[in-house]
Amino acid sequence: MYVARAGDRLPDTPALRFGAGERIQGVTPTEPRGTDKDAHELQGRLMHVSRLATIGEMAAGVAHELNQPLTAITTYAQACTRLLDRVEPNLGDVREALQQIASQAVRAGAIIRRLRNLVRHTDSERRPGDINALVEEMRELMETDARVHGVRLRFELAQGLPRVMVDGVQIQHVLLNLLRNALEALATVEPGRREIVISTSLTREGEIELALADSGPGVEPAVAERMFDPFFTTKEFGTGLGLTISATILRIHGGTLGYRPASPAGACFFARLPTA
Amino acid sequence: MKEPTPTVFVVDDDEGVRNSLRFLLKSVGLTAITLPSALEFLKTYDPEQPGCLVLDVRMPGMSGLELQQQLNVRGAMIPVIFITGHGDIPMAVEAMQHGAFDFLQKPFRDQDLIDRIQRALATDHKNRLALKERDSIRTRLDSLTPREREVLDLMMRGKPNKVMAAELGLSQRTVEIHRARVMEKTEASSLAQLVRMVMDSGSASTAR
Repeated sequence: MYVARAGDRLPDTPALRFGAGERIQGVTPTEPRGTDKDAHELQGRLMHVSRLATIGEMAAGVAHELNQPLTAITTYAQACTRLLDRVEPNLGDVREALQQIASQAVRAGAIIRRLRNLVRHTDSERRPGDINALVEEMRELMETDARVHGVRLRFELAQGLPRVMVDGVQIQHVLLNLLRNALEALATVEPGRREIVISTSLTREGEIELALADSGPGVEPAVAERMFDPFFTTKEFGTGLGLTISATILRIHGGTLGYRPASPAGACFFARLPTA
Repeated sequence: MKEPTPTVFVVDDDEGVRNSLRFLLKSVGLTAITLPSALEFLKTYDPEQPGCLVLDVRMPGMSGLELQQQLNVRGAMIPVIFITGHGDIPMAVEAMQHGAFDFLQKPFRDQDLIDRIQRALATDHKNRLALKERDSIRTRLDSLTPREREVLDLMMRGKPNKVMAAELGLSQRTVEIHRARVMEKTEASSLAQLVRMVMDSGSASTAR
């Protein structure tokens, strides 16, 4: 089992260079570590950027997800026109179609609202929450993303779990990060065998665990040693910050991010949070 | 025997899309059966049932493309119209290469879908008639005796009776009788029709 070290934090400021000597605004070159306030602000901004990057990667899935209710709406509306063109239209059928149009539009609206919440979120605020509800909120988005990758998602959410004190959007960000890693790990697996199990449980230590286990090839020990390090990546276009930022989010929540091989095969990443 | 009513099968994992398509097809008087997955379709699919398949390319579990491949392996002839989300064009191209009847991008104009469905149903009907005709010709050809079959093969190559008689070691009279029996059993009205029937049935002899 590998756990992101307790002292892990976002990379020190000198490492955050954008091009030649230019540093992220708010960090003075003379103070490599910045003030606490600067560091906090930087951390928040970095999380925001990382979240946007994650959402950007999910764009194809989101577009596909929105297209479904739009297709249903278009089809119902056109069928309505046909029905009304008849000599004696069956108004009951028309009403049924209109109700369906309304509910599909509400569904499309919910997709956009969820996305907007993820994008807009800047001020961290922790509230007591239900981990399962946070997962459920992301379910449709995750399922669409999984569908685009030909992956089946399975949910094993333990009931009656104690509440956790969390910034919901940040925890969902971790969930999406882990999902994207798992989806990429499954690219080499034959289509019928791509599965991710998303589970919640109460650990023996009394922590709430959110885990993603995939049926992929697993993480090689040499990679596992380093994968929580900032800028370490095995992806061609990865930033190497996904797991680091996820680990930071868990750390500021008093929790941990870790990895263990999944059984019978594959990788399992887990986030553990103290109960509220 | 009465022909079963042609049925439009709709396979899409999205419940909203599925129900809206059933509603539309019902509103234009088509018989539609909707299914949430490729596996569900395979479970209920009867190759004898005339119709067409409206299939979502991208689905969890078995994708639309995989279902198409399964159907191809089984030799199923049902015409497949793919419906795709945007960005799925490469998949649609692949589907066409594997013999898809047509494809449409979601969302689509209802008339475009209905036109394609009507064309697919017409094609399916034509294919089924052709298949039936072929089966019937095969049955007739199978009823020939080995000797009649030999005569038929020589007729196909345009040999006159005299040559046939010499080749088969028969009298010309006997060849004429066999010839008449071949025409009678195959119900061919002319040599030209007979040749076409044998070619269409795919059972033309390649010997010699």
